[in-house]
Amino acid sequence: MAPPRTYRCEAIILSYTPLGEADLLVSMYTRQQGKIRAVAKGARRSTSKLVGHLEPLTAVKMSMAHGRNMDVISQAEVAESFAELKEDLTAITKGLYLAELVDGFGAEDSANPELFQLMIDTLRAVEADPGSDMPLRCFEFHLLQVSGLMPELYHCVECRRELEPDAHRFSPNVGGTLCLDCNPDDAHLRPLSLRALKVLRLFDRSSIAEACRLPIDDSLAEELKSLLATTVGYWLGKEIRSNSFLERLHKESLFEVYI
Amino acid sequence: MTQENIPGAAPSLARLVQELNRLPGIGPKSAQRLAYYIIRLPDEEAYALADAVTSSKQNIVFCEECQNLTDASPCPVCADPRRDRSMLCVVEDPLDVLAMERTRSYRGLYHVLHGVISPINGIGPDQLKLKELFTRLARPELAELVVATNPTLEGEATAMYIRRHQGRDDLRITHLARGLPVGGSLEYTDETTLTRAFQGRQEI
Repeated sequence: MAPPRTYRCEAIILSYTPLGEADLLVSMYTRQQGKIRAVAKGARRSTSKLVGHLEPLTAVKMSMAHGRNMDVISQAEVAESFAELKEDLTAITKGLYLAELVDGFGAEDSANPELFQLMIDTLRAVEADPGSDMPLRCFEFHLLQVSGLMPELYHCVECRRELEPDAHRFSPNVGGTLCLDCNPDDAHLRPLSLRALKVLRLFDRSSIAEACRLPIDDSLAEELKSLLATTVGYWLGKEIRSNSFLERLHKESLFEVYI
Repeated sequence: MTQENIPGAAPSLARLVQELNRLPGIGPKSAQRLAYYIIRLPDEEAYALADAVTSSKQNIVFCEECQNLTDASPCPVCADPRRDRSMLCVVEDPLDVLAMERTRSYRGLYHVLHGVISPINGIGPDQLKLKELFTRLARPELAELVVATNPTLEGEATAMYIRRHQGRDDLRITHLARGLPVGGSLEYTDETTLTRAFQGRQEI
């Protein structure tokens, strides 16, 4: 029996680009099929029934039809619009940073429902507190986890001894934490404070909403940001483009506080 | 596409196909069809097309005021003394100016950004004509800034950035109304658009 021509899925819109005269090529991450790209016919016309449902950072219930080359979006209905998130420039930029990472780490036509749920949970956390960077740090950590790239946090990756409660070192290249006795020749090796290690372990056993309630000072926040961004960038293998605008907004907000 | 990919085609024709193939939305087959159409055109029509391409590339410059594409700077809109200099409408693209002018209902000046802030594509404020906009905003005769970026996520982000950085307390900043398109349908309208349409309801 031939497979059905249409199917339904839950998706988060990551981005879109114009296609032809009035169509859109929509990139989305779905719970059922992972990352897919599909065509929204006529979506750029002002009377299109689809376009309002296809803005990036929107959770949508889709009806799709299999196409010859690419699937076609036949219906779309907003499941969660994240409307408050979209009223704040910093929150939008953070949302787009998440979308860029999901686009980079998500595999095409390969379901990873944990990654889908992680994106939804993190967007909710960013919407609830646009000023906090903790949702991004939790997201980066859990992104590694759900992508099968979870760093080792409890044993030295070289000698396999259990880690003492002390400062250690970390390298994405060897897969996690190293004790001070092991000295592999590794350009990515960096110091890891005990406080940062404890926060990473807390991320490991908490939900995003729980982890975001953890109060951390600026120096610890900087250490986690640098460590997780470096690790995510290492596995992604390319520059995270939305990071530069996010950094710019961050610097401007510091300047506003200063004056 | 390289010239070797079109066996049997004359090199100059292959080159034309190759150049047309670079245009957005033109695939290899469309490029071949267009190239053969151009070759079959009467001489004067083909030369007129070539001349239009050449002269537009040679003559088109950015207007020193609004940054729109123009033959002579300042552009006809900025040079027109009848335009209302107390209003400035910010748009993403030169095509948006044409759309606004078609309405014949706006008589102020424009500013063309040539894009929107798109973090995911690595386009930040420095890649747009925002510095020029902020310079213009300092003019005292300006009373209202109409931000007419598209009602998309990136258009809205750009509007928020402009509002945050415009640096004047006495400037009225507006954006175009959000709501239902003429000929649209409530049933199929997304919740954000319908909420905005409800907020912006007007007496009849």
